[in-house]
Amino acid sequence: MFGPFRITNSLSGGLLWKIPWRLSPTQKARQRKRLRAVDQVVETLSNALAKKGETLKALERWKAEMPTEAQMLPRDKYTMFDRKAKRYRKGIHKLPKWTRVSQRINPPGF
Amino acid sequence: MSYFRITLHRSAIGLPKRTRGVLAALGLHRRSQVVFHPVEAQFAGMIMKVKELVKVEEVDRALSKRELQDSRKPPAGFYVERAVDRIRTGPSSSPLLKAALEAQQPQQQSQTQAEEVRL
Repeated sequence: MFGPFRITNSLSGGLLWKIPWRLSPTQKARQRKRLRAVDQVVETLSNALAKKGETLKALERWKAEMPTEAQMLPRDKYTMFDRKAKRYRKGIHKLPKWTRVSQRINPPGF
Repeated sequence: MSYFRITLHRSAIGLPKRTRGVLAALGLHRRSQVVFHPVEAQFAGMIMKVKELVKVEEVDRALSKRELQDSRKPPAGFYVERAVDRIRTGPSSSPLLKAALEAQQPQQQSQTQAEEVRL
């Protein structure tokens, strides 16, 4: 029962996924908060440049292509496309550095 | 002239070299560090590259390093009193005040006389 050779789930040869397959409610809340923070930065930039009458290609493209947090579906906030996963979706927390990169849209047709 | 007040909120550890390079170009080296850059397309583009890592505000003027430090300091809990400028008397000042000042002046004179006597 105790000692170095005790039977644990990982030692008995089974594949053990320790990463939950979905986000917890608090993780989801923090994810929404991060999405809103990025929206806020984009809004600040576009307002500041609009006052000066300047435009920025990267900014215009982001605003044209990316939905804001309020416009996004829960499905897109917490999961992402994966061609290898069953039903083509996996939890967004499987994405490396997922709290510091933007992942908002799906490939065409998905 | 307005400025972007940029605060590094999330660290860039483990992120691509390009991202870390952009932060270095903005002058951000440690978390919760604040830098100011003028509102220009050039700087807005740099912020766009690291928008997940920073907090941005638009402010009217850039604070110096000293002002930033002072803004973070807690209140001292005391203040040093300074001498207030004496009220100047003139023809336009109220007669009551004038009378009060005149009443004070002979006293002061008598005091100085007393000090001279002591010496």
